[in-house]
Amino acid sequence: MRLLNKTLVGAFTACVGFGAAAAYADDIRVGITMRMVSENGQAYGQMMMDEIKGINEAGGINGMMIKATLMNDECKSDKGVANANKLVFQEKVHLLIGSSCSSVTLPIVDVTAKAGVPQLVPHSTNSKITQKGSEWIFRIPVSGRYYGGVNAKYVGENIGTKIAYICAADAASVGDCANLEKQMKARFGVEPAYRADVQEKEVDFRAHMQKIKSMNVDGILVAALAETMARALVQSYEAGIGADVRRIGSSSASNAPVPKIAGDAAKGVFFAAAYAAADQRPIAKLFNEMVKSRYGIHAPDHDFSQAYDLVRIMEIALKNANLTGSLADDRTAIRDAIANVKGYQGLASGPISFCADATPQCRDGNRTAVLIGYTKGGEDFETEVIARVTMEEDFGLE
Amino acid sequence: MAFDFNSLFAFIIFGVTIGVVYGIVALGISLIYSGLDIVHFAHGEMYMFGAFFGLVLVHNIGLPYPLALIGAMVLTALLGMAIERTFYRRLTRAGGGYTVAGMGMIICGFGMSVALVNVAYFIWGAEAEPFRANLNFIPRLTFAGDIEVPESYVLTAIISVILMAALHYFLRHTKMGLAVRAVAHNKDIAYLMGINVPLMISLIFGLACGLGAAAGVLIGPMQSVQVEMGYLMLMKAFAAAVVGGFGSLPGAIIGGIMVGIFENLGAAYISASHKDIYAFLLLILVLMFKPSGLLGIEAKVKA
Repeated sequence: MRLLNKTLVGAFTACVGFGAAAAYADDIRVGITMRMVSENGQAYGQMMMDEIKGINEAGGINGMMIKATLMNDECKSDKGVANANKLVFQEKVHLLIGSSCSSVTLPIVDVTAKAGVPQLVPHSTNSKITQKGSEWIFRIPVSGRYYGGVNAKYVGENIGTKIAYICAADAASVGDCANLEKQMKARFGVEPAYRADVQEKEVDFRAHMQKIKSMNVDGILVAALAETMARALVQSYEAGIGADVRRIGSSSASNAPVPKIAGDAAKGVFFAAAYAAADQRPIAKLFNEMVKSRYGIHAPDHDFSQAYDLVRIMEIALKNANLTGSLADDRTAIRDAIANVKGYQGLASGPISFCADATPQCRDGNRTAVLIGYTKGGEDFETEVIARVTMEEDFGLE
Repeated sequence: MAFDFNSLFAFIIFGVTIGVVYGIVALGISLIYSGLDIVHFAHGEMYMFGAFFGLVLVHNIGLPYPLALIGAMVLTALLGMAIERTFYRRLTRAGGGYTVAGMGMIICGFGMSVALVNVAYFIWGAEAEPFRANLNFIPRLTFAGDIEVPESYVLTAIISVILMAALHYFLRHTKMGLAVRAVAHNKDIAYLMGINVPLMISLIFGLACGLGAAAGVLIGPMQSVQVEMGYLMLMKAFAAAVVGGFGSLPGAIIGGIMVGIFENLGAAYISASHKDIYAFLLLILVLMFKPSGLLGIEAKVKA
């Protein structure tokens, strides 16, 4: 009887295991963890799922379907790491996509490196992400080290070198501040005229603005996440700092809540990003129309374009990867296929290329930043392209 | 930062303007504490709901800002009274009296806070909403040559003074105010004197929530409105209430102004990165040297 029981349990376990394996066998499992707390966040998350659905409807990847799991990390590192662990160890994904916020992506890099899962970064810009030495990480957006160089060149040559810095405590903004500061010192030999490190969700900048006002600076860098930045911009005008003092945004100035919340205070703000809705290329115009008609977004920012480019790069890599059915081997094959993506030209401001070495030179795929200025704030904001600059792959590294 | 009197003056002015907002919220907390002997942990959410009500009344209904302020106060007061009648009163009845001792009310307050945040998230979403109000009827003040005080700050100061004066008048010079004070002093004796104690407690809740709403509508044009705005305000308001003396209404306002000035000066002259610490540093200092708060009454309990 005991033998029979053992046999039945063994057979049941084998059936369940085989069934699960069979269910997974024809799927390529992709896990996505991103910030989706805002209308924009939900829209670009949905857009990625729709694009993946489109790939499946068109026949999938060499006959295999992509099974995508989308999770919201709310830009919180604890949730992001929990999502990544769930996707990697429970869902056993072949590829992880994430996250939007650098402070979330940074710890996830360790999860994917340990588990041996290729990770595509959709939005995070902190330069340290690719400097951790993980051979599994690939970044679609422009690294903060390139943004720092582009901003410094434009600021120093066109605005002045007496710059006040307001730096929020999130990882992307800390990185953006450090990169501009470093580049301003390297190029023009200047230190910040004023620097304030504020909390990630600071609401009251009046003390800083009052001090900055008394210093007659040429420009103010506001490096913060979108809503915090918008508040700082509004309060800078409330403090009586005129429009002649140029406002420089960190890369999150690209996010729609900045002009929406800041209103008129967004006018004149410029920033480096990976995509401009004012881009005149046909592909960009088509993309803008698609996002507007499908998701009701007035002007997609680079979070949308990067999410879209990521899906296209993922599609190319998956098609080129020689998948065998062994999870570990397939993960390695996908990693190698991503590393072989060269000169992808999509919506991004420049071509995206990766290579095999686990170095930032190889894994920061996009080296071209576009300098964008707001010409109008509010719900129906407008932008202009000021310049487009491609950096050397070693730029900003020690 | 180099010291100059103009900047110091500016920091104090800004400290006072934000401080009176802390004070108004602290006033509500103190009112509820004096009425029910409880600390209302969902009061930050009443402030947040008030801000959203004001936003809707200005942006969607098209009311002028002053009317939206009154409307938001009334709506939030009604919401607060409904919450008190529906949830909190059951707890007090279960305890057989008008107040609740122990953890029940604290847990209920925390639960209410989480529930209200989620309700707001469901209605308005997580994105911050700009509160664009036409404040052109208020002059922009300029001090000492170049210190500009924006309209929203001037309005905050004016409205706060009006609210405090109105509350003072209500409590000191009206029959209903006398009844409220009687209930705050001793509910059993107030009941024996013929005062409708449950009604007065509802009124206190409504008043406190209305004050929280006023603070939300006042802060909206300065900082935009979002679902998570209540938590930090609650912490600052608690600090203000304790600094001023828990349960003391003038103390709440004085505590709020002190917290506002202290954190602005700390941010200006020590470090702006840790601005939120200063409020609690002040709180610790006050508790060390005068545990009952600045205007609190030292009560000695017999063993």
